[in-house]
Amino acid sequence: MSSSKSVSKPAIEVQNLTVSYGPVPALLDVSLAIPAGKLVGVIGPNGSGKSTLIKAILGFVKPDIGSVKILGEDVARVKGRVAYVPQRGSVDWDFPITVREVALMGRYGSKRWWQDMSKNDYALADRALQQVRMSEFSRRQIGQLSGGQQQRVFMARALAQDADILLLDEPFAGVDAATEGAILNVLTEARQKGKTMVVVHHDLETACEYFDLLILLKQRMFAFGSPEQVLEPELLSDVYEGKLRVFEALTNHTLEEVLQKGRLPGKEDGRSPE
Amino acid sequence: MDWLTEFHLANGHLIKPLVVGTLVSLACSVVGCFIILRRLSFLSDAIAHAMLAGVVGGYLLMKLLFGTEAHVGAMLLGALLAGVVTVGMVGFVTRVSRVKQDTAIGIMYTGIFALGAFAISMKSLGQYIHIDIYHFIVGSVISVGNSELWIAGLVTAFIVAVVMMFFRQLQLTSFDPVMAASIGVPVVAVDYLLTACTSLVVVSGVRIAGVILVVALVITPAASAYLLFDRLNRMIVAAAAIGIGCFWAGFFLAHAAGASPGPSIVITGTGFFLATLVFAPKYGLLVDWNRRRRAVPQEIKEDVLGAILRSEQEWVPINDVVRHIASNKPKIRRAIIHLIRQDLLDQKGTELRLTSQGRREGRRLLRAHRIWETYLDRMGTPANELHGQAHKLEHMNDEQTIDYLDDKLGHPLKDPHGSTIPEDFVDFEELSEVRSSLLREGFRAEIVRVEDVTLQDRLRPGAKVLGGPRSADGIRWSLITEDGATVELSHDQADAVFVHRVESEPA
Ligand SMILES: Nc1ncnc2c1ncn2[C@@H]1O[C@H](COP(=O)(O)OP(=O)(O)O)[C@@H](O)[C@H]1O
Ligand SMILES: [Mg+2]
Repeated sequence: MSSSKSVSKPAIEVQNLTVSYGPVPALLDVSLAIPAGKLVGVIGPNGSGKSTLIKAILGFVKPDIGSVKILGEDVARVKGRVAYVPQRGSVDWDFPITVREVALMGRYGSKRWWQDMSKNDYALADRALQQVRMSEFSRRQIGQLSGGQQQRVFMARALAQDADILLLDEPFAGVDAATEGAILNVLTEARQKGKTMVVVHHDLETACEYFDLLILLKQRMFAFGSPEQVLEPELLSDVYEGKLRVFEALTNHTLEEVLQKGRLPGKEDGRSPE
Repeated sequence: MDWLTEFHLANGHLIKPLVVGTLVSLACSVVGCFIILRRLSFLSDAIAHAMLAGVVGGYLLMKLLFGTEAHVGAMLLGALLAGVVTVGMVGFVTRVSRVKQDTAIGIMYTGIFALGAFAISMKSLGQYIHIDIYHFIVGSVISVGNSELWIAGLVTAFIVAVVMMFFRQLQLTSFDPVMAASIGVPVVAVDYLLTACTSLVVVSGVRIAGVILVVALVITPAASAYLLFDRLNRMIVAAAAIGIGCFWAGFFLAHAAGASPGPSIVITGTGFFLATLVFAPKYGLLVDWNRRRRAVPQEIKEDVLGAILRSEQEWVPINDVVRHIASNKPKIRRAIIHLIRQDLLDQKGTELRLTSQGRREGRRLLRAHRIWETYLDRMGTPANELHGQAHKLEHMNDEQTIDYLDDKLGHPLKDPHGSTIPEDFVDFEELSEVRSSLLREGFRAEIVRVEDVTLQDRLRPGAKVLGGPRSADGIRWSLITEDGATVELSHDQADAVFVHRVESEPA
């Protein structure tokens, strides 16, 4: 189980965060504190600001107002404590770069600009590739991989960075069931080592199985808590509006059934039974 | 040393242009790599077009304020300023109006270029300005002087130093700016640095190729290198080499033809790019075409597996296989080699056998074929067309497609010719959870959950059941419980009972 050395300090603390790209804010007055060592899912419809929240926690987008603190320190001052796995669609897969070079990027943060990458950095990158079973592809250009393999390369980059906090933007989108399982394994292993993870997720049906805590987002934060608290039919129909019915039709389950399923015994994934 | 002296005597006037051209081509190509990866070609174009106005502005300012003639520094600064204003205006127009970027670019470039041309052509101002418009447009590398030599040297040294020192930062901000920001790389500062580099190389490149063509010096060699290499550091070195090579080739081509070097350099660059496009070893059209020609169509491989499976012998002579397939022999042979390499076939002498994996794949295809046949039959396709049509359609055999058809057809057991359709063994793996409508007669399974309340008293999670026969033309299912009772189910009810298989072979 995760160590409880720093229970007092949340891993990520977001206070009254508002971010906008134009006249309409993408995030409005979002406040939350994510405890260390938790696997947290972010759910919400398309365009609800999930990626924006991730980018704000990484310090890439500047808030209009509000603050983000990483392990108690202002995000602008922390460097490299947060690793990032981008959304597949936002990566240029034709970029002239190999699998190994991407993994090596995980080590960039540990070097000043005049320092060269050391043997040790290469070794760490290679080990991370081994962990996600991508070693044999290390010389491939990243466009010449399957969707699941591409996802694993960026997982390796995050592992090589050895950060305490991992942010993943839709890692399960468009991967096959086997890869989904493999990624989930890496995540639960990382949690056992006490890492904090925030994962953008699109599938409500699995959201209740995978995560310790859920954030329900649509510009504002609608709910933050255990899956049981967040996946309330009323809340969800507020946030997803008409789209929920489509979702029900697609999965052939009613929302109640899905929620029921999430609570079934025997679906434990290492969570403590309290 | 003799030939060198001789060359110097005969061609001494060429040495300065060649040195300047080599340096500038190198700097342009190196920066070009980042320009094309960040999709910023328009930036170099904007700066080039704005130069005329900038140079004229700088010229006039110095002349009118200080009474000095053409001052290189002022002209450079004017060009940079004008470039930045153009890029800013493009962004501004795109942001505040519904006009899209490509249109905004077209408007602003031409506008700012026209402003410069207007000032020069004016009688009152034009008398102060001694700029050769022709050379400004097509370049004038032949007449470079010492100051240009110095500028080219400094610019190139600066560019090479920046790229070598900040390679990681430039690479990461181009590839993943979000991560770059998170590890403390000053993303915005790097962007400005790159814009500054672009301005520098464009302004020095104009002397060689002119305002209209200078973009080609920046992006064409980089694009050729992009097609040739899979790693950024190699791409940069290659771009520099290609840029320099094209400069020399174009320069001497012009010399031989008695033409202006600017256009000729760009022509060689474009020619080289087109050649790369066709002949590049990995991303070239030729390789692509060859690969497609040599690729074994999936259909033929599927036909081979199907032919062996249908023959119902263990070892099948290759000639028999070939006879059953409507395709040319070499293609079938290549398909067979591929299948052996994929571990789907074994070969002994002139005979072939399915491996267990190959048998599985063959059965999956047979299932797809027979389900398509059943589907076509239900649609009212004439019996004599069934096989042919299904043979075409069976190559759409991904699991989702076949599962959809199977469910829609009510999980048929036999095809229209009366042959058994293999069961859905892909989904129906041991321990994976499926709907009981997939359970064939004689298969054992354990109930996982029952979503139909009317059945919950008779079928309980954890109970073992045996698949019973279908009745009423296959539209009623039956499950036999451990105490021997038979539970009859409709299709929907069978779909509501989730089971997992407990034995791999029917009891
Ligand atoms: N770079 C950007 N420029 C302008 N608008 C943006 C940008 N990125 C996101 N947005 C807008 O912000 C909103 C939230 O986007 P995003 O965070 O990507 O949502 P999600 O990841 O939940 O789909 C959307 O309306 C989107 O159009
Ligand atoms: Mg997103």
